[in-house]
Amino acid sequence: MASQLIARAGRAFGPVREARGVPRWIVWAGIVLTLLFVVMALTAPWISPYEFDQYKDASGQRFVKQQAPSSAHPFGTNVQSTDVMSRVIWGARTELKVVLFAVVVSLLVGLPLGLLSGYFGGPVDRVLVLIMDALFAFPYLLLAIVIAFLLSDKFGSGVATAAFAISAVYIPQYFRVVRNHVVSLREESYVEAARALGARPRTVIGRYVFQNVVQSVPVIATLNAADAILTLAALGFLGYGIQPTDAAEWGYDSSRALSDAGAGIWWTGLFPGMAIVLLVTGLTLLGEGLNDVLNPVLRRRKMEPVTLPPRAPQEDEA
Amino acid sequence: MAKPTTSLRTYALTRLALVLPMLWILLTLVFFMMRVAPGDPVTAALGGRLPEKELQQRRHAAGYDKPLIVQYVDYLGDVARLNFGTTITDDRPVTDVIVENGSATLELTFWAMVVALSVGIGLGLLAGRLRDSGADVSIRMFGIVVYAMPAFFLGFLAQLLFGERLGWLPTSGRASPEVQFLLPTHTHLYVVDAIIYGDWATFKDVVLHLILPAATLGLIIAGVLIRLVRVNVLQTMKGDYIEAARARGIDEKSVVYRHAFKNALVPVVTVLGLQVALLMSGAVLTETTFNWPGIGFELVRYLNNRDYIAVQGIITFFALIVIFISLLIDFVNAWIDPRVRY
Amino acid sequence: MRTRTSRGLRLFVLAAAVVALAAGCGSSSGSSSGGSGGGGGNSDATIIMGTTDTAIHFDPANAYDLHSWNIIYNVYDELMTIPPGGNKPVPSLATSCGWDDPKTYTCHLRSGVKFQNGDPLTSKDVEFSFQRSIVINGDQGACYLFSSLATCGKWKGNEISTPDPQTVTFHLTQPDATWPFILATGAAAIVPSSVYPATKLQPDDQPIGTGPYKLVKYQPGVQTVLERNDAYWGTPAKNARVLIQYYKDTPSLKLAIQGGDVDIAFRNLTPTDISSLRGQSGLKVVEGQGIEIRYLVFNVKLPPSDQLAVRRSIAYLIDRQSIAHNVYNDTVQPLYSMVPAGLFGHIDSYKTEYGATPNPDLAKKELTDAGIATPVPITIWWTPTHYGGGSADEYTEIKRELEGSGLFKVTLKSEEWDQYAVDRGKDIFPAFQLGWFPDYPDADDYSAYFYPNGGFWNGHYDNPQIDKAIDQEKASTDPSVREAAFAEIQTLAAKDAPTIPIWQGKQIAVVRDGVSGVQETFDPAYIFRFWLISKT
Repeated sequence: MASQLIARAGRAFGPVREARGVPRWIVWAGIVLTLLFVVMALTAPWISPYEFDQYKDASGQRFVKQQAPSSAHPFGTNVQSTDVMSRVIWGARTELKVVLFAVVVSLLVGLPLGLLSGYFGGPVDRVLVLIMDALFAFPYLLLAIVIAFLLSDKFGSGVATAAFAISAVYIPQYFRVVRNHVVSLREESYVEAARALGARPRTVIGRYVFQNVVQSVPVIATLNAADAILTLAALGFLGYGIQPTDAAEWGYDSSRALSDAGAGIWWTGLFPGMAIVLLVTGLTLLGEGLNDVLNPVLRRRKMEPVTLPPRAPQEDEA
Repeated sequence: MAKPTTSLRTYALTRLALVLPMLWILLTLVFFMMRVAPGDPVTAALGGRLPEKELQQRRHAAGYDKPLIVQYVDYLGDVARLNFGTTITDDRPVTDVIVENGSATLELTFWAMVVALSVGIGLGLLAGRLRDSGADVSIRMFGIVVYAMPAFFLGFLAQLLFGERLGWLPTSGRASPEVQFLLPTHTHLYVVDAIIYGDWATFKDVVLHLILPAATLGLIIAGVLIRLVRVNVLQTMKGDYIEAARARGIDEKSVVYRHAFKNALVPVVTVLGLQVALLMSGAVLTETTFNWPGIGFELVRYLNNRDYIAVQGIITFFALIVIFISLLIDFVNAWIDPRVRY
Repeated sequence: MRTRTSRGLRLFVLAAAVVALAAGCGSSSGSSSGGSGGGGGNSDATIIMGTTDTAIHFDPANAYDLHSWNIIYNVYDELMTIPPGGNKPVPSLATSCGWDDPKTYTCHLRSGVKFQNGDPLTSKDVEFSFQRSIVINGDQGACYLFSSLATCGKWKGNEISTPDPQTVTFHLTQPDATWPFILATGAAAIVPSSVYPATKLQPDDQPIGTGPYKLVKYQPGVQTVLERNDAYWGTPAKNARVLIQYYKDTPSLKLAIQGGDVDIAFRNLTPTDISSLRGQSGLKVVEGQGIEIRYLVFNVKLPPSDQLAVRRSIAYLIDRQSIAHNVYNDTVQPLYSMVPAGLFGHIDSYKTEYGATPNPDLAKKELTDAGIATPVPITIWWTPTHYGGGSADEYTEIKRELEGSGLFKVTLKSEEWDQYAVDRGKDIFPAFQLGWFPDYPDADDYSAYFYPNGGFWNGHYDNPQIDKAIDQEKASTDPSVREAAFAEIQTLAAKDAPTIPIWQGKQIAVVRDGVSGVQETFDPAYIFRFWLISKT
């Protein structure tokens, strides 16, 4: 069953290979940019010049605080005398950890809930929709802050707390989109036909609904990943995120850098800020590009020139 | 095969009836989050000075150690009587907080929306019209990058550039300190009040203070709108009636401007309602960066102080606004598209 | 037919036109009202001060934070006050005060003083003010300061006697040498009995006192405006109006002082901000002695803090100079006693005991002599915002100092203030960050709350000798007796190191050229005397 699902999902993404022109460049730009950060995160221990909390070099000499970019510190140092470039590189790891965690949790909860609720309908559906709408109405940042508050009591302020806070914000989104899609699919003729033929709900959902719905998931997932990074940065900025001694986090570093900027110290804020912008842009491009390519209304097929076979001479055409 | 559609009136009544449960869920959520969260207002204020015994006495005197259910029932009762109480940290009636700070946020978000709509819709339509051209790609990139910037970062860069370096625009507050002191606040919307007051210098001061915050917040929302409008334009342009119009020989410009655009914007209206939540969240960060005395920042401050009375009152206010707006949007949608009704 | 685009465009153009008009025409809005300049300061000037502090209440019965007391000191008067640059109380609303016996303190009131609503000041108002504070027992208030007079919430009626309208006698329940200091605090401000409710609070925008300023506007979170009281009994203020503008965060405040939106920026610019503003033309950085302190606390019941050798070893390793210089850019000074420098009775007891700079060898010796294996694992807790944004850097620095010697393995943990304030009383933190802001500038305020009953933080440290010395200094008004007692307290504390003092803050303000008087008002009393500020 699982391998069948995976095969179906693969077929659903066929159009990506067929894309041409601007949408193709956008998807690839997004992939490259995102991969850049993924590679950065994975290879951090090897490519980063220093540890994220390192404040002196091998000989025991302290780094100068808030030093401008130089050959020893290409991105300069910040107010805690740590190297900005190292914190940007290690920060990629933190961001991706949190975002991956958050997206996976949101998907695992939101997708099945949306599928089942949309397909079966009834009072359970109504109640779920009500709850999800209520959560959706909450300004997302405030929801994340309150949950971060609550969880920091149990788990301390770390990756897990931030990730749960963010996933709580996005579960209603997945739920809504998937459910609405399923509800509209339910009315389609081929689904009705399948049910008329006696197919069990499991088959209908697995074979028809899932494949359709799963197409929209990557778009939402990448766009939500982009949003998740912004939310994490906002949490870090307001002080509810990850502590600097636990891990490097771009949002926190940006918030400390705000008071630096007024003093003419631009490097502590520019590089983490740019990292946020680039990664979010990459993910968004990926999502937008995928949308362009997968959304049947938007996508454009490659135009092959049609060559007709040479005309056979007709008998009465002399 | 379509279901029979219900009348608009039935839909309206059903939707209205659903408001109350939604509100109740939100309020319950807020209540439990606040009480379950660690700490209380007494400890927040005096935890750095008083021994534990003293703190316990004060907590007891304020009723923070009553059983949760009792506090919950009290709370629902208060809300039902529209008694939002007075804040704990600074003894302000919560309604005062909502009126004064709420109108600051209202003014900010209104003008931010003006910026967002004009820039977002304008550029989105342009991008959709000129699909895949250089202009389209640059507009899309602009939309993406602007949205990718954290609100506080964009805000601070704007402050630094226009405020510090160029010195053109003020960087914090709704008005200069002395203008603030002299301006009589009837509506609490400073632009309106300044017009009523009739003094040109005051009006100018207030408008100048509004520019950077509204532009920052507006641009971020515009980033989302650009892409949304563009996608909807593209989808609409694929429609059969567009092809029919072209087939009838109508020139491309009329096709686009008279037929496609209007319809492309209808789904955008729906999404606008959803943007209210985004607007509020962005407002919190913008208000902090620009020192704008709005309700988003006050909410975070009260949250930090465990001032649950203030927080509940403010969240109720938020919830009512969001619910009201989404109701409005749903009505508009249902009026236009009968398939949407229950 | 109008389409959406053109309507959107029209709105945009309209908005742009409005803005262009606004920017183009019109006179420039005035920034500060000047008047004719005189020689030393324009007495009609408006002083604008920016701060990130917020006000809580202006009713003395329910106010306790620094900023609220600032306003209270300027709008009301107290029986005693600390004069500028001084550190001992002198009569203010009173003409003379003295001890009849160790538990009875009598003050003679100034005659002819009127409240800002015209009512004359009598001893009835004084009794009313104290009674009210005790009865209301505000949860944001400091009624516990009056614990020598009465128990909070319980007024018996015999605590104060008023034999005539100009005389007030306090009957204390125990001898208290700090009583004159307490009479000079903001909690002891005198309110009019005819106006203020006896059991409820006065609204914050309607305070009435006898002080040099009247409050004319209070917009919470935005601004407070004071105007000179022309009927004041004392020297009139040097300016006509004070406008306090509240800023949400330090970057905004910094931009404001740089751009000339405010004349004075006071609390809480970061060390980075101060460094960068120091060189700027048109601005001066004014520094004064501050007496707020920061220290590391040990819970002597939890390991490893329960071992004296561990505490002493850490005391040998803390590098105060490094913290003051690297973390705070010298906006704070190293502190060698729980009683800060500048107060009567202060001695550098930790310097005497452990040296002025870190001594890793002696630190190691403490541990080896006690037979403790190194590195010693220890968890140190701190809180990110309540004690200043530099806390993160400060505790990172401390971790580095302790681990650099190879003797300790430090785990740093932090919690937001609300959770932190609750957890610190629960015997969870072996070592943690605390700060102290004095109620009054006397060393007693730094001893009575720190040692008896384990200190207000319940650290379980108990030293009967110190407790006795505290009773001694409280009971005696003889300076030499008090000095000896304070010396004993500080020396004993240094030996046992239940806490380690780290730094003492300076009062720092950034002031525009032409504004003077800020230096004069910076003294350990923490009374920001607006009436001394003048502007040319």
